[in-house]
Amino acid sequence: MTTQNGIAALPQLGLGLGLRNVHFEHILTHWPDVDWFEAISENFMDSQGRPRDVIRKVADRYPVVLHGVSLSIGSTDPLDLDYLARLKTLAHEVQPQWVSDHLCWTGVMGLNSHDLLPVPLSDETLAHIVPRIHKVQEVLGRPLILENPSTYVGFKDSTIEEPDFLRALADQTGCGLLLDVNNVYVTCFNADADAMAYLDAFPWDKVVQMHLAGHTDCGTHIIDTHDQPVRPEVWELYATAWQRTGGASTLLEWDGNIPDFDTCHAELLKSRAYMGGAGFQQVLDAAQIAPATGVSNPVSFLVPDVMDAATPADQG
Amino acid sequence: MADTLTDLQHWMHRALLRPEEANPQEVDARLTPHPRLSPSGALAIYQQSYRLRIASCMREQFPALCHALGQDLFDDFAAEYVRDCPPESYTLYDLGRRFAGFLDAQRPDRDSQTREVWVDFVIDLARFERDVFVTFDGPGAEDLPPASPATCDADLRLNPSLRVRAYQFPVAQYYLAVRAKAAPTPPPPAPNHTAIVRQDFGTRIVPLRAGHARFLSVMTECTTVALALAELGPGALTPWHDDPGLKTDWLRAGMFVAADAQT
Repeated sequence: MTTQNGIAALPQLGLGLGLRNVHFEHILTHWPDVDWFEAISENFMDSQGRPRDVIRKVADRYPVVLHGVSLSIGSTDPLDLDYLARLKTLAHEVQPQWVSDHLCWTGVMGLNSHDLLPVPLSDETLAHIVPRIHKVQEVLGRPLILENPSTYVGFKDSTIEEPDFLRALADQTGCGLLLDVNNVYVTCFNADADAMAYLDAFPWDKVVQMHLAGHTDCGTHIIDTHDQPVRPEVWELYATAWQRTGGASTLLEWDGNIPDFDTCHAELLKSRAYMGGAGFQQVLDAAQIAPATGVSNPVSFLVPDVMDAATPADQG
Repeated sequence: MADTLTDLQHWMHRALLRPEEANPQEVDARLTPHPRLSPSGALAIYQQSYRLRIASCMREQFPALCHALGQDLFDDFAAEYVRDCPPESYTLYDLGRRFAGFLDAQRPDRDSQTREVWVDFVIDLARFERDVFVTFDGPGAEDLPPASPATCDADLRLNPSLRVRAYQFPVAQYYLAVRAKAAPTPPPPAPNHTAIVRQDFGTRIVPLRAGHARFLSVMTECTTVALALAELGPGALTPWHDDPGLKTDWLRAGMFVAADAQT
């Protein structure tokens, strides 16, 4: 074990929101009453402009978690040590409560799909990823927290159920887990599997954090679009997950058609209604907002609105 | 190395980049059918998402060019671009880095004696938008004390974000018109020089005369006013030697910082 403290030492942060460009001004102006923020690591790690300035200021006031989308822990390409060094520098600067990424790969042959692609769940994949997690934890000097991805394909090479695979990863590396409740629903729905059985098999003692998000129903399948309120089915799973984790840190992701900050915050606070176990209050007003594109894991939030920052010299 | 995993990932990544080349029999051999999704249908979700995601990010990085071409044509160019230059970096900020060069290399009149004006405009605008995008998040002067009218010329240093560029079209004006939702039409050629600079995290666009652009370009290399003038040759004078208002304007735009701030 290369980390100084295991996941058991990590705090329960309460209810947090994803730190998004469109909310920067609101946050810096109003310093809203949010328990914590989760920042997409890649939005800030190379920034020498406004994003970097914003995360420094936010980290001065709130607990912050760094959540990555490009570690590519499952790729058969070598680990990107330059990426890790930049991530470590950012972590040193903002002192996050933890650093997380996904059980996925994003590319091979030096190319990047900018998607969170699933890995076949097998002993071979396990043997491939375990030493990579060890290396990441050694470089970062802290436990890595890994999230279950939303998936749309199943591999014939898969021989292990996802909860068991994640348990094995955590047992063999000391990493923690980020349970994305919406991803559980998406993956199980698309595979025609039982989401509650998935939760029954999940290693709850490894869960450090949970994610909530909205998805899009495409009729035959659903896509993890993060562009609308949390669906009632996901809230129900969350109620179970919250109980079984004993109140793990919860974060709402909203990445497409992002509404104003107060709307996002109000959606997050709905989770309080699901913390009472059986008999929880039903707050099921999750009216569908028409998605713009139906893109899985939307990433438009990764690109700042540069045009709005540009002015002729005689203005602004 | 996990050989089966390597083989699978190389296959799947190729299937994302070039969906038309994915062999349906191989898809069925590698992926499990689900009651709701066939293997090809499931793979298509990733293929479509890749295409839409890249197109969306390119539109975000080149909004004025998207306006000029219209979204459908812009998306076609973006799709061809990523086929030719698939993303190499972990960061989407890098996505548009090679776009202007790609457009230049692929211009339809490249073997013709006569250059199409609209192609020149498209390439010029792509270069400008990339310059603005890089300036937005690159090194800046926000942590450095700005120069003031009281700062003597010997102590003037350029803002690290400053870019001095020559364009063949009034792309800055076109860009700002798009930003103002004015629906501009492509302008005729009008060679110009422009400074792009970031101040307080806002990007400023400053028109320059040719001589002023030359001075600032040389100063970018030489660091100080005195060395820039020496490089420009005997008798060279600052652009503001007979126009103090110019220096005031450039200071207001954040083009300079004070020397001691950088040491």
